[in-house]
Amino acid sequence: MELVVLKSNLKEGLGYLGKIGSENLTLPILKNFLIEANDGKLKFSATNLEMAISGFIPAKITKEGSLTVPLNIVSSIINNLQNERIDLEVKGNNLIIKTENYQAKIQGIKKEEFPIIPKLENKDEFIEIDSQSIKNALLQVMIAAQISGRPELNGVLFDFQIGILKLAATDSFRLAEKTITDSKFKTNIEKKFKTIIPIKTIQEIIRILPDKNNEKVKIFFDSNQVLFKTEKFELISRVINGEFPDYQAIIPNKLSTEININKEELLNALKLTSSFSDRTNEIKIIVKEGAKNMEIFSSSPTLGENQYLIPAKITGEPLEIIFNWRYLIEGVKNMEFDNIFIGLNGSGKPSIVKPNNNQNYFYILMPIKGE
Amino acid sequence: MDKEKLWQAVLAVLEIQISKPNFLTWFKNSRLTDKTEEGEAIIALANNFAKEWVENKYHKTILEALNSQDNSIRRVKYTVLSAPLDQKSTETKKPQPSQPGFEEFKIDPESNLHPKYTFKSYIVGSSNELAYAAAMAVIKDVGKKYNPLFIYGGTGLGKTHLLQSIGNEIKNTYKNHLKVKYVPSEKFVNDIISSIRNKRMDDMKERYRTVDVLIVDDIQFIAGKEASEMEFFNTFNALYENDKQIILSSDRPPQATPVLEERLRSRFSGGMIADINYPDYEMRLAIIRMKLQEKNASLPNDIVDLIASKIQRNVRELEGVLNKIVFYQEVKDMEPTIKMIEEIINKTIKQSFKNITPNQIVQIVANFFELSEKDITEHSRRKEVVEPRQISMFLLKDLLGMSYSDIGHKLGKRDHTTVIHACEKISKNLPVNQNLNNKVVLIKEIINNK
Repeated sequence: MELVVLKSNLKEGLGYLGKIGSENLTLPILKNFLIEANDGKLKFSATNLEMAISGFIPAKITKEGSLTVPLNIVSSIINNLQNERIDLEVKGNNLIIKTENYQAKIQGIKKEEFPIIPKLENKDEFIEIDSQSIKNALLQVMIAAQISGRPELNGVLFDFQIGILKLAATDSFRLAEKTITDSKFKTNIEKKFKTIIPIKTIQEIIRILPDKNNEKVKIFFDSNQVLFKTEKFELISRVINGEFPDYQAIIPNKLSTEININKEELLNALKLTSSFSDRTNEIKIIVKEGAKNMEIFSSSPTLGENQYLIPAKITGEPLEIIFNWRYLIEGVKNMEFDNIFIGLNGSGKPSIVKPNNNQNYFYILMPIKGE
Repeated sequence: MDKEKLWQAVLAVLEIQISKPNFLTWFKNSRLTDKTEEGEAIIALANNFAKEWVENKYHKTILEALNSQDNSIRRVKYTVLSAPLDQKSTETKKPQPSQPGFEEFKIDPESNLHPKYTFKSYIVGSSNELAYAAAMAVIKDVGKKYNPLFIYGGTGLGKTHLLQSIGNEIKNTYKNHLKVKYVPSEKFVNDIISSIRNKRMDDMKERYRTVDVLIVDDIQFIAGKEASEMEFFNTFNALYENDKQIILSSDRPPQATPVLEERLRSRFSGGMIADINYPDYEMRLAIIRMKLQEKNASLPNDIVDLIASKIQRNVRELEGVLNKIVFYQEVKDMEPTIKMIEEIINKTIKQSFKNITPNQIVQIVANFFELSEKDITEHSRRKEVVEPRQISMFLLKDLLGMSYSDIGHKLGKRDHTTVIHACEKISKNLPVNQNLNNKVVLIKEIINNK
């Protein structure tokens, strides 16, 4: 293998790989990444055996070839090189990195030892969507996900129905659901399906998806894998086998108290009052009979207490309800609209938070049990 | 040679030939899932990477090793394990203990079973041993022995607990080989309604007819709903013909369920019918002890005795009373006295009948026996009206505490001695006459639900 590549391109290519290969201890070759030069393109791949990422960058290739080399060494070299033009060459089992005044020889392992990156059985059916839209949607639902002992919750649900794609995640204390309508995506899939994509895969895809609107990503699904594909990279991952809980059952269909409130003001109030809520993270929301504002209260036996009144439009019954303010803030922070709707159902039942007059996103949160 | 042993032998060969990290990485959780007549072995591997790797690198070795153990094997196919992988539960953030989660998520979405119901917490006594034995037989011989299994008994006696326990037990015993589905009949009806509305009847049919064990709770609610009865009838037949197990529960025996279509009734009676009765004193004691253990609480023996002797009919009520007492103990931090307990019990029992008028009671009794109110108040000694009349008198006394002469006046201007006789007769017969007891409890429940 012999080629010339620009440093900025090389950096971009390594950037796609992130750190996914670095954790595996049983199989040392996973610390390496695979360099392949053919068809006028340079391809980098890394895997942790749960997912694999490949990045494609342009390069002037004079001789095709391949090798695997340790990712961390190559990264640190490339990051510190000053020259823009870099020569790469494979000689035997060594990778030679060369510039005008620098040369490194890195011991590698042959491609044949590197895991074979699986292919999807399905090559034709996909969903095509703006990189920005899917990234935002994933960010909005990921707040409710965290790794727990239940495998089927350790991921984001992709629920494809005809005309809409629903994303949902939950850690069983809160749940976020985002609906993407088909004005935002194109697809040739004709059958509805559900699949759960692991949290780690979603974190990686959020990391590498560009924040650009004109960039498209194609998503392919089959029974046990998912593939995210753009011109520049491919990410293939296993999916979680299991059934996502039937969360329709927890969506409150009747609400006893409804509150309309300004988002910034609510965020501000939560941040301010939370200073007294010490380790328990508890804040209390108080709605009084016929009140024109909502009170947020928090106290600590050792520090003191404080309260904040936010003007709000309130209908329904008065109540007091306790939340973990971190959970509440996470839900509110990600909403794209200025006005927030909070629906409460007594102090022990799930509550719903969503942008006012918008059906595409909601966040359900369990209150903390009061006295 | 069975599949497991065969695969172990192959792994032993592979372990010697390849390096340890490779062996651990690629063959962890691998399994020989199937061996067909045509000599094809199907091997399941942990993930797609393992599948690609093993298929490309070790295929020859595996085939040779398999063949040397079992020379009928000529081909090997590779798949990916479909069972969920054991994941490292590295919890990133520990939520605080006071943060409750969504209760509904504990229910297994596929089978609809709640894992809290198991036989471990199910107490067996003389009143439910038949049902329990039948359940055990069904678990041992799914679909063959008692099909359908029909369990009936009053509310709060543990029908749901028994049904769900059967489901959970079958799931655990047969792992993933049998598909269990539990539905309250209300959900079944709703499913039918929504699938009719969405024109997705096929989905619904498939959902219910591909199971190996169908458990329908409170089947009596289906009675009188024609489309649901029809669909259930078809589902029932489809499952029954294929030797799939069906388990049903109801608050009364099939013969006593009014407006149920005859063909369904006869089908329900075709398998095994078992009843659950009111728990006797010893069993109630055992239940209280069990519940206390679950709640990590303890009560003095005389109080446990008192609760067991006072609350006789409904285990759910029993739990309600216990909850209250335990709550008092925790919050007020004091030992409950006998007097306090008596108050709590009285409140719980009486509370339910507060808002009912004498007329309503008479009406309910009349309806229950399919009589008119006039039949009850008129002066006739026909056998079919005498018992209902006496039950009415007894209930008016028992639930509302009306005076004997008031009751007599209300029910056709009778003498108060007639009423005394009736009340005494019923209360004397209640403990010995199971049939009468059932009727009275059923009527009380109807009143309660008003």
